[in-house]
Amino acid sequence: MEFDSTSRLRCLAWIVLGWVGLIVARLVQLQVFQHDTYKQLAMAQQERVLDIPAPRGPILDRTGDRLALSVPCDSVCVNPMRIPDLAMASEILAKILDLDQLKLYGQLRLYNDSRSGFMWVKRKVTDAEAERLRNLKLEWIEFRTESKRVYAYGSLGAHVLGGVDFEEKGNGGVEQALDEELTGHAGSIRVTTDVKQRPYDSKLDTESIPGKTVRLTILARLQYIAERELKKAVEDHHCKSGSLVAMDPKTGEILALANYPTYDPNIRPRKGSDPTARENLAVTAPFEPGSVFKTITLTAALETTNLKPQTIIPCGNGSMTLFGRTIHDHNSYPSLPMEDVLARSSNIGAINVGLRVGDANMYEYVHRFGFGKRTGIQLPGESGGLLRPLKKWQKSSIGSIAMGHEVSVTSVQLAQACSVIANGGRLVHPKIVMSTKTDPPVQVLRPETAFTMRRMMEGVVIKPYGTGYKYAHIPGYTSAGKTGTAQIYDFKSHVYTHLYNASFMGFAPVTDPAVVVVVTVNGAAGTAGYGGPASAPAFREVAAAALRLLNVPQDKPDETPESTDDAEADENDVALVDLSPTVPEPPVFIGPKAPDFVGMTMRDVVQRSAGEGIPVDFAGRTGVVRSQIPAAGYPLPVGQRIRVQLGR
Amino acid sequence: MASYRSIRDFDWPMFVLAVAICSMGVLQIFSATHDTKWGDAWWKQVMYIMVSIVIMWFATLIDYHTLLAQVPILYTASVVTLIATFLVGTKIFGSRRWIGYGSFKLQISEFVKLVIVLLVARYLTEIKTEQLELSDLFKLGGLVGVPMLLVMAQPDLGTALTYLPILVVGVFLAGLRWQHAAAIGVVIALILPLSYFFLKDYLLKDYQKARLVSFVNPSSDPKGSGYQVIQSQIAVGSGALWGRGVTRGSQTQNGFLPVPHTDFIFSAFAEEHGFVGVVVVLGLYFLLLMQIVQNAQMAPDRAGMYLCMGVAALLVFHVLVNVGMVVGRMPVTGIPLPLMSSGGSNTLSIFLMLGLVNNVRLRRFVN
Repeated sequence: MEFDSTSRLRCLAWIVLGWVGLIVARLVQLQVFQHDTYKQLAMAQQERVLDIPAPRGPILDRTGDRLALSVPCDSVCVNPMRIPDLAMASEILAKILDLDQLKLYGQLRLYNDSRSGFMWVKRKVTDAEAERLRNLKLEWIEFRTESKRVYAYGSLGAHVLGGVDFEEKGNGGVEQALDEELTGHAGSIRVTTDVKQRPYDSKLDTESIPGKTVRLTILARLQYIAERELKKAVEDHHCKSGSLVAMDPKTGEILALANYPTYDPNIRPRKGSDPTARENLAVTAPFEPGSVFKTITLTAALETTNLKPQTIIPCGNGSMTLFGRTIHDHNSYPSLPMEDVLARSSNIGAINVGLRVGDANMYEYVHRFGFGKRTGIQLPGESGGLLRPLKKWQKSSIGSIAMGHEVSVTSVQLAQACSVIANGGRLVHPKIVMSTKTDPPVQVLRPETAFTMRRMMEGVVIKPYGTGYKYAHIPGYTSAGKTGTAQIYDFKSHVYTHLYNASFMGFAPVTDPAVVVVVTVNGAAGTAGYGGPASAPAFREVAAAALRLLNVPQDKPDETPESTDDAEADENDVALVDLSPTVPEPPVFIGPKAPDFVGMTMRDVVQRSAGEGIPVDFAGRTGVVRSQIPAAGYPLPVGQRIRVQLGR
Repeated sequence: MASYRSIRDFDWPMFVLAVAICSMGVLQIFSATHDTKWGDAWWKQVMYIMVSIVIMWFATLIDYHTLLAQVPILYTASVVTLIATFLVGTKIFGSRRWIGYGSFKLQISEFVKLVIVLLVARYLTEIKTEQLELSDLFKLGGLVGVPMLLVMAQPDLGTALTYLPILVVGVFLAGLRWQHAAAIGVVIALILPLSYFFLKDYLLKDYQKARLVSFVNPSSDPKGSGYQVIQSQIAVGSGALWGRGVTRGSQTQNGFLPVPHTDFIFSAFAEEHGFVGVVVVLGLYFLLLMQIVQNAQMAPDRAGMYLCMGVAALLVFHVLVNVGMVVGRMPVTGIPLPLMSSGGSNTLSIFLMLGLVNNVRLRRFVN
């Protein structure tokens, strides 16, 4: 018995020891050999890496006025594991944020079941929605600050700026072309969380780098005038579209670039809305330039032949037959001096000059003026236009090209070409962003050729029979240019329609041009749709505004415009009479008064100020406006900025 | 009864070991709960321990033979109270285990352990044969089985299972034939898996089945029933050799570890004190056990020996099942780690059992 009892005890001891051995072996395995694995497992469920958003860089005009900026806005998220009652939560959120309650409930349930501590409810909510949610003071509702792109002046410069998609990625214009610079680089932060994913500790991983500021060459105030005048030109002549480019001929800086129709980049494109409004026609849509191209023909003649401005060019009494095709002039002349071929825009004269120049020289000079290849402007979707290689030219091609057919060009290319003449013969590539380095200008013409051409183009404006006479006079400045009216070719029926691309390209002042303006309206009809009456007035207004804004000294006595608009009003149609009151600015300019921003949210301020064209500086980033300088009701000189202080 | 009892005869080593384990428990309870809603649990535990020690002292004064004489009354009272608990007990986390008034609640099943120890000791003492007959085994099994079934019905499978080792060790030491022991072992080995497959829907609750499944394969439901097992092992593993320090264990402190001050206190301890701390604590348990077994060997009579071995069996079972669960070698049963886990009823019942062992020791010179 004694022996048996001891052996039984020993037996129990062995069983227990075996069991203990099993557990200790496991402990050794866990804590001594595999502890790194388990530490990593612990880390994996306790750490989260969060992005620190980096704001997208603002886009400024050349004076530093903010055209596009990113403002913070709230996105709503929840920690589903901290919601005490999912049904109640989905009801509240759905009501305030205008969401589908059932769908939201299902989503919350799903996240909650899978122990997920983060769920977006709605991103980029309005300030009013955010405020209502904040007022509920529910601890499980969280806000993340995201940013939203605001175009301060609505549609102003829409085609230059482009737009951004929901994730603030550029999808047009400079926003797209310079997306890389504008995009900030999000930083990251390592957050240690507890089991309910409440963060209790954090460590900065990488700093966020805000996007770079992009300063455009655009002058916002000129841009505004350009858009206004283009709209008027297009609407007055019942056209469907148009574009306008204003450029500094010496530096290539684009001062204004407008298209019509236009759009508001603050509003996301809806399905089914007309996509053509978003088309940057001035850059992407080539057209046959027509008569404006005669300047190229004549320049080539001055450079490569012994023709002089006074050389008499035969004009065939209004019609000529060239390789079986008969060409007519609107007005018939037996012959004209070459300068009047330009001033009167004689097709036959231009063709005869072209024939003197010859195919090879003509091709060379069209090429030298930068046609047939992209200008390299930093806007997406640029077209290089069409210039057929010499070997594909037909016999009659020289005649067509001499008067601006069989080639297609964009408005920006025309501005670049016109600048060559305006700046003394250098090909300067246009640029839209201040800091871009463009190729150094190449001297493509003799300076004296450019000078002669400027004089000849001035004739278009100042000679009483010039096609631009009456329309392109700028009070106080000399100006020069060339009209163009090209029939639109219908690719479906393969005939030229009776609709015109009416264009005007010109510069001012003539002796030392400070601005080149190219205006094109598409789809004009009748003689009022010719380049002179349709496009030149827009040139005049925009060039005048540019010279005034750039403080270019006047080079002509500031005569009253009795010889232009008054004469017009006598003999022409009513539509033109309507134009006249807007031409002179009211002599006493009563400035606007500072609006009352106090109590408004940042977004409302931006919208209001954008609507009224008042630049605003913000101090603080959240809450509502607490104070402003100047105070509401005080007079606000043009360009004066309002400084507002935001606070909770 | 001229018995000589002195304060020197008290089993001081056993007492010191128990208090040492308790203080580690209190430290860990503090560390695991200091900024949770159970922040005062460590203080409560200190109170429980002190009250338990006092009650143990008084229990030691009563001769265990007197207690053995009262077994029928104690047993009947236990069964009645368990039935009452089942009917009117306080329901917490879906099971009725507590009975009491207001904030004073007792977990009756904890004290029934003590009665089972006494019952087994008395029954086996009264047989007075060298070998245990099968009929006696079944009778005793039936007597233990009634309260077990009542506790299982609460439902509290873990506590119910702790009654078994008292019976098993008792009958084994009482001379159960080796052939019978082997036969019973084989039958159980056959019946358990069979009944799991055929009767699991009747015997086990859904969560119990899920626990068994996730014991075999925790990653089958890592966020549900396997969650506790996985989190516990991550905590133990990341404790490594030296531990992460008091209040420094990220699993313990940030709520990843479930109930880090009760059932999973060993996991929290392992995370914060590492393998070295674990070895120290397990060593203390081992010494405590040896002290109890020594008392069993020095017991004045068979009854005293059965009492001590019953307590030893219960303690070993508790520790091994709990630690086994924490390291993923046993299914989750939800039984506390004796002397360390926070909880009044459990602490008191363990101290009462230690008092019983002491009681046997103090009377070893009687004859």
